[in-house]
Amino acid sequence: MESLGSLPYYVVGGYLVLLLGLGMAGWRRSGTGEEDYYLAGRSQGWVVSSLTIMATFFSSFALLGAPGMVYRDGVVFALFSLNVPLSGAAVYFFGAKIRRIGAARGYVTPGDMISDYYGDSVLLRLLVAFIGVLYTVPYVVMQIQAGGILSQQLFPGENSYEIGAVALAAITMLYIMIGGMRSVAWTDVVQGALLMGGMLVGGIAVVAVVGGPTAFFAKVAELPTKSLSVPGTTGYWTAGMLLTVCLIGSIGSLVQPAQWMRFYAAKSTRTLKRSALIFAVILTACYMFGVILVGLGGQVLYPIVDGAGNYSHSSSGALLPNPAVGDTPAAFNDIMLVVLKNHLPLLLGGLGAFLASLIMVAIMAAAMSTADSNLHSMSAVLTRDIYDRFLRPQATDRERTWVGRAIIFGATVLSLILVIIANRSESNPLAMIAILGLFAIAFSSQLLPVTFDMLYVRKGTREGAVAGMVTGLAIVFFISPFMPELGDGLAGMRQAMLGMIDKGAWGVVGNVVVFVVVSAFTKPLPSKDVAAFGKIADGE
Amino acid sequence: MADPAVEKRKKLGKILAIAFVAVLFLGAGPGLLLINPDINDPAATYTFLGLPTVYAWGLLCYAAEVVIVVTAYLKVWRDDEEDAS
Repeated sequence: MESLGSLPYYVVGGYLVLLLGLGMAGWRRSGTGEEDYYLAGRSQGWVVSSLTIMATFFSSFALLGAPGMVYRDGVVFALFSLNVPLSGAAVYFFGAKIRRIGAARGYVTPGDMISDYYGDSVLLRLLVAFIGVLYTVPYVVMQIQAGGILSQQLFPGENSYEIGAVALAAITMLYIMIGGMRSVAWTDVVQGALLMGGMLVGGIAVVAVVGGPTAFFAKVAELPTKSLSVPGTTGYWTAGMLLTVCLIGSIGSLVQPAQWMRFYAAKSTRTLKRSALIFAVILTACYMFGVILVGLGGQVLYPIVDGAGNYSHSSSGALLPNPAVGDTPAAFNDIMLVVLKNHLPLLLGGLGAFLASLIMVAIMAAAMSTADSNLHSMSAVLTRDIYDRFLRPQATDRERTWVGRAIIFGATVLSLILVIIANRSESNPLAMIAILGLFAIAFSSQLLPVTFDMLYVRKGTREGAVAGMVTGLAIVFFISPFMPELGDGLAGMRQAMLGMIDKGAWGVVGNVVVFVVVSAFTKPLPSKDVAAFGKIADGE
Repeated sequence: MADPAVEKRKKLGKILAIAFVAVLFLGAGPGLLLINPDINDPAATYTFLGLPTVYAWGLLCYAAEVVIVVTAYLKVWRDDEEDAS
């Protein structure tokens, strides 16, 4: 990035050294054993808990995808931010009870609690582990890929993509392997702070570039009418879509394995109560006053309509950004990088170059914090729910921890190979992973009905839970591109379903209906066990 | 016999939950059609107090969500430390 000079080298270098230092510090404080490696000894205070929960919640989507959505669809995407306070409240509603039960019974993964509550169901444990892996794999791969793309932007040159991807993957892998949850959470503190700072500074910077708040909103008011109304430029964000994404999608990402383990790792209920408040208030502000303004400013600086008010489309009919931003539909996501690179150094000189470098490091932080949490939780799920349960039940605590480290190593190396091959290949081997990523929250949402039942309702049965989860997963697979073509009628139905409401919501609706019906006709769980579980959950 | 303070807290919790869902329906659901400008209407206005109307609506709903969450934090949400004291 010529306009930023050599500053990015120093900023990125300093950031990576800091991460390694924190990783080492986490390792020095670590105890032995699985509970320490996966849950930091259940001792995390509210500062660490709130920042690691937020950093895990936001991937590089927060700084690339979200401004890209606003740049493409307009101000309608600001309403998507209203899901964040709901997710924040869910940190308390789900987290407090999950923490109490986890601490009382020594659970480490979501599968531990769910299979234990529903009568030690092997099938249920496997299903929960399957959902966990479906969620984590695409997130790990896509974040490593984001490291490569960012490196290309920051340090253009031969092999910069590969160097960036390798650096991100290697450093992330290293600090997870040596320090486990403690290192992951401590680095998440820095990464979470950078992420939120980057979102807000990005917004402020774009408003300044356009000429200050008054000039900014005056120019925004002149944008095409589709950019200023619902359902937005592409027509995707209908009221039904917005509402279901806010209701299901946002909470669905809070019951994925990495978040669930953060609830277990919290020191107390008070920790999660404070984390919930910070999440709901501050994170939403970062959206509303940060990335939303970046996207709107992008439309002002790089209009997506020509002088006659016409939009450009690709050969497949997808909307295209301004040619100065890119020539593919995916280039909408580059708007933050383009604005920072082209305008901030001109406006603020050396300070602008420093801020632009810092925001780019924040994007890297967002990618790393998501990758580390998901790698770490994937290791826990595969070790606890598969290796320990089915392959070597006699394994010692120490052995399981080392198997967990081996899984982190193997998963990182495999993901890295895939990312590098994909970059050099004419076909796109990551296409299926990218699709899986789009459906990741839809899959993890299928844990919502059993989670809600265990924590609040306690009327479901083991058979109901299994049947509901299978149904929910089947529905999500049906509407995903993984399903083979079954004729025009079904293809049309699939398209109609996708355009109506959130992908995960369809699965959750089917999941709940089947769960309730099957539970009504099958043997209830022993009332004594349910009552004992309920007492712990309710803190009685 | 139920503790009146606990009952009061539960009642407030239910009211806040209903209010939160209502704000979501208004802000990010069918309620937003109340303020959404009709792009086919030449007389439609797209700004409110200088801000895009949809954005201003989002800010208003965000403020309402914050009030609800802060009230829940102060008055409804309990933690084990408070219950033990």
